[in-house]
Amino acid sequence: MHQSNIISASKRKRIILDNLRSYSMLLPNLILFLAFSVYPVIWTLRFVFYRYGGYGASVPKFVGFDNLIRVFGDQIYWKAVRNTFVYAGAKILFIIPAAFFLALLLNRKRKGNGQLQSIIFMPTIMSSAVMGLVFYLLFNVYNGQINRYLMDWNIISGPINWLGKDHAMKTLVITAVWGGVGNYMVYFIAGLQQISQEALESARIDGAGRLQTLWFVTIPMLGPILKIILMLSITAAFSDINTVMVLTEGGPTNATMVMALYGYQFFFPVSAGTSITPQYGYGAAVSTVSALIAGIVTVLYLILSRKMDDVY
Amino acid sequence: MKKTKNMILEAVASIFIIAMVIFTLYPVTYTVIGSFKTNSELTLGGSFLPKVWHPENYVQAFIQADFIKYTWNSVTLSISVMALATLTASLAGFVFARRDFAGKRFWLTLYTSLMFIALGSVTLYPIYNLLTTFHLNKSMLGLILALVSGQASNVLLTMGFVKGIPKELDEAAIIDGCSLYGIFFRIILPLIKPIIAVVALFAFRHAWNDYITTLVMTISLPRLRTLTVAVVQLKYAVNAAAEWHIMLAGASIAILPIIIVYAFCHKQFIGGLTLGAVKG
Repeated sequence: MHQSNIISASKRKRIILDNLRSYSMLLPNLILFLAFSVYPVIWTLRFVFYRYGGYGASVPKFVGFDNLIRVFGDQIYWKAVRNTFVYAGAKILFIIPAAFFLALLLNRKRKGNGQLQSIIFMPTIMSSAVMGLVFYLLFNVYNGQINRYLMDWNIISGPINWLGKDHAMKTLVITAVWGGVGNYMVYFIAGLQQISQEALESARIDGAGRLQTLWFVTIPMLGPILKIILMLSITAAFSDINTVMVLTEGGPTNATMVMALYGYQFFFPVSAGTSITPQYGYGAAVSTVSALIAGIVTVLYLILSRKMDDVY
Repeated sequence: MKKTKNMILEAVASIFIIAMVIFTLYPVTYTVIGSFKTNSELTLGGSFLPKVWHPENYVQAFIQADFIKYTWNSVTLSISVMALATLTASLAGFVFARRDFAGKRFWLTLYTSLMFIALGSVTLYPIYNLLTTFHLNKSMLGLILALVSGQASNVLLTMGFVKGIPKELDEAAIIDGCSLYGIFFRIILPLIKPIIAVVALFAFRHAWNDYITTLVMTISLPRLRTLTVAVVQLKYAVNAAAEWHIMLAGASIAILPIIIVYAFCHKQFIGGLTLGAVKG
């Protein structure tokens, strides 16, 4: 009786020590994670319900659903939501097929293909903000190199205002495709390498041409991975902010304003040239609604892609 | 018939690849070659190569635009973030993979679920306030911590990798009297080098290229700015239109180091991407 008490006490001590040892290794990361990942989320969700920042509101004041109601009536916000969908849709429409064909062609065992893969992947390792500045210079109306080439080759007669109201979104999408195509190419290559060589071989023996093999064997077998790639591309496109911020600053007149940037500019000025009156509470509400919209799109996509599985 | 069709396909494929390679390389070569031109050559047009090479653009960028300081900031920041992120993430990944402890399931769920909440850069405001509260907003340390930020993806990446290492190795080490830290540093760490390299490279790239976090954290402290932030700020300079050559020299200073790192470690960069995404 007495002895078993001693055992359980020493056992308890050992368990506590054991836990302490584990936590001593976990804590450095856990503290950073709690401070810089968890706490900001809780802060944002809390201030959705507060009026904070802006004129005469330096002290947070609880206002219930006021901020959320304001979000739903905010014309510019819904324009930003539309822009985000246009941007994401256009980016995915160009980037996925381009990445897929690059993967298909550069996955073949051929001299130089490895180097070509490395070249196509290179933009993903460079700062999208710095390259946003370079694209800003390239697409400049009067001094930019793009208009100069197009006019020298007689493709256009006068300069196109690439960063103007009508074309800024296109320019943004071109820049995004430039920065991301290598990323998705690598995903597709990983997918292609998991397709069994036997299936491709037997298709060839059965007399299928290259395009037939591609359409009837390769693409269907890529299905599951294609689904993951599409999902990654959707979530990435919804959160892109760097390029917009540097290249167009969301303008002109909100023509390229996206959800991520619209929320940001209630907290900090978008460029050094502008000044803002921060509205933290409203910004928190905008960002929360945006995160919800992105979440809903992802879930809808998952449901839809599962439905597609049932059909085939 | 079939042969000509194949040849046409090959030709189309080659044209496509060549077009994509030009599309990819052009902005980079424009930046580097343009950084040796005069401003009027850049803005008024000229040949692809500069008439006269102007390396003094770099002298101007380094000295007048203060890029020596920003380069130093970028280097110290990126190396610190790399070291801290790698160490903390691998320790946490190891503990999650190998140990049982109170609250393990809860923390693991929190790490995973946070990856799905995309509030974006709005969270920078509470982070900035937090750093101010702890008086960390006046030094590089605050920025380092904000960029390390205990990223869940790194932890889950190392956790998955440690799980793939046979447990018998740990057990043998325990019998030999090895402590927990001994197991980690002597047994596990040498075996997870491939994933450590990936986490380290990604952390380095993240810190080197980051724009928004660094911009916000240095809003009142321009002397702590990194190359990335400093280069973009040139866009808003009063005489920006007359300084394209400085912008391009600055941009080259900002991208060339990471391109050199990439030239040596492109396998890890490319391989690391699929480790996290498609397989995970």
